[in-house]
Amino acid sequence: MSQDLIRLDNISRRFGTVTALADISLTVRRGEFLALLGPSGCGKTTLLRMIAGFLDPFSGQLSIGGKRMNNVPPDHRPVNTVFQNYALFPHMDVAENIAFGLKRKRLPRAEIRSRVKEALAMVGMEAFATRWPAELSGGQQQRVALARAIVNRPEVLLLDEPLAALDLKLRKRMQIELKRLHERLGMTFILVTHDQEEALTIADRIVVMDHGRIAQIGTGQEIYDTPTNRFVADFIGEANLLPITVGNGGIGCPGLDLPGDMQAAPHGRDSAIMIRPENIRLAGETLPAGWVTGQGKLRQKIFRGVGWRLYVELPGGDEIAIDTKESGAELIEPGGDVRFGWPADRCRVLAQ
Amino acid sequence: MRIGLWGTVLLLAAPVAFMLAFFAAPFTAVAVSSLHDPDGGWSLANYVRLITDPYYLKALWTTLTIALWVTVITMLLGYPLAYFMAFRIRNRWLKRLLYIVVVTPLFTSNVVRAFSWIILLGRNGFVNDMLLWLNLVDKPLPMLFNKVSIVIGLSYIMLPFMVLSVAAILQNIDVRLKDAARDLGAGPLTTFLNVTLPLSLPGVISGALMVFTLCVSAYVTPSILSGGREVVMSMLVFQQYATVLNFSFGATLAVALLITAFLLLGTYQVARFGFQQSRKLRGLHAA
Repeated sequence: MSQDLIRLDNISRRFGTVTALADISLTVRRGEFLALLGPSGCGKTTLLRMIAGFLDPFSGQLSIGGKRMNNVPPDHRPVNTVFQNYALFPHMDVAENIAFGLKRKRLPRAEIRSRVKEALAMVGMEAFATRWPAELSGGQQQRVALARAIVNRPEVLLLDEPLAALDLKLRKRMQIELKRLHERLGMTFILVTHDQEEALTIADRIVVMDHGRIAQIGTGQEIYDTPTNRFVADFIGEANLLPITVGNGGIGCPGLDLPGDMQAAPHGRDSAIMIRPENIRLAGETLPAGWVTGQGKLRQKIFRGVGWRLYVELPGGDEIAIDTKESGAELIEPGGDVRFGWPADRCRVLAQ
Repeated sequence: MRIGLWGTVLLLAAPVAFMLAFFAAPFTAVAVSSLHDPDGGWSLANYVRLITDPYYLKALWTTLTIALWVTVITMLLGYPLAYFMAFRIRNRWLKRLLYIVVVTPLFTSNVVRAFSWIILLGRNGFVNDMLLWLNLVDKPLPMLFNKVSIVIGLSYIMLPFMVLSVAAILQNIDVRLKDAARDLGAGPLTTFLNVTLPLSLPGVISGALMVFTLCVSAYVTPSILSGGREVVMSMLVFQQYATVLNFSFGATLAVALLITAFLLLGTYQVARFGFQQSRKLRGLHAA
């Protein structure tokens, strides 16, 4: 069995004059938990619906398990979907909902019964088999929708923002449950979400999308620590993006001292230095060699429980956010000088 | 918004008063008058006459069969049209236009429409000419002044009621349910039979009830298109009141028609309830 389960080659799709997907190429590995992450309108749901078979690409090739899937209707694809609003059949009870896919495969009644029972147990809903969807809470409906999909043992389970409608606490719990379910089943999961924390929590790999294109693909840590462009840096977590100046000695930034090798970093005209607030240290007297150092005036100071958030104005007028737990932080008053720095390898020079 | 007890009473007062004054009271008067003999004494004679005379029973039978046929035909014609309007037409303005087209015939007089059918359905009418020309028949079909013409005329008038009532329900079915069914391996037909159709049944049922009751009480269309050769109950009622001037027997006919219609609807409701119960039990066993 090949390791690649789904291949998308140069997929494009327009809606009228709007480009929903532009030249998407992506491989989904067998058994992985992949998240499609991006702001609304970035094309992530379009991509999911395309894999499910509700939309066809205008150009490009889609294959699942080595078979070309362009123009194959959803009922002939080895995938099942958990829909955003769950889309449970209101005229069927929970057990009938879950049995729907198995009945379409004309499995023997006894097998349907045992598999429905098994799926109900897997999502902890054994006691609800004869309830109607309207009698269930959002979280319970979500579990039923999950059971209805996995009972068919698809090669790929597609999840279209399945947790978006749940309250925060329940959402956190379901995230962990989803991850455990994935580990137990060994099935390939593809999750669409706009919640970066959710993607980081449960996915093995994340596809960050923006305006119908793939901005970056990687593990959560790769995407967080080494974003390859400003969109990803800004969308995942918090980031300071400081515009650079280009001089004859290389790049620079008003208020910052850059080590020599960093000045020579590859850059474009509108590149920016990306540094996450939590990676910045306040400086006492000296900072180790090879660090980026800087200073500015404190504009605002906010206590955030785990530590302080400082907004510091650089001489060039840009603002930099610093998260610190260091004990000196509360002594600085707005207007006062702040010296800070970070190891050069924690920051990146990013093009647009 | 919560409405208090007095608010509820106030809101209901007008419709309840209206129903009492213009439905319950006159109906009681009619029912009472049906129980009188010509001399003003109490008597069941009118009902005995109705039940023992095959002429009236046959008229009742004709009325119900015509109503049933019309219900079935409007269902078969109206459902696809409603489906098309609800799911296939994406353009909002086109959709509105279609609704207007469906409703417009209701603005024209039933009399005019019935007479148009006489022109169309006659021996040398358009329909027979077409059938002959297409060589589908070798001599004109007798379509006018019998049950066929009444059923055709009524179906034509009743179709909008069925279409509107089915379309209203179809319109509200979540299209994502169809996606879900396709996703779970159902083809287009299975999806329709297992998801769309059962969910649209309330619309079909309310449409059918409306069409059936309107047909049972229809007077103008049957009397014009029957040519006097078929008799339905509403014609007999009119005859008793307007020509024979036997008000109490006219009332008997009207009450009998109402009771029969209620019995049919009641039987249907019981059957439906029984079906739901059995389905629930099966559901329990499936789990």
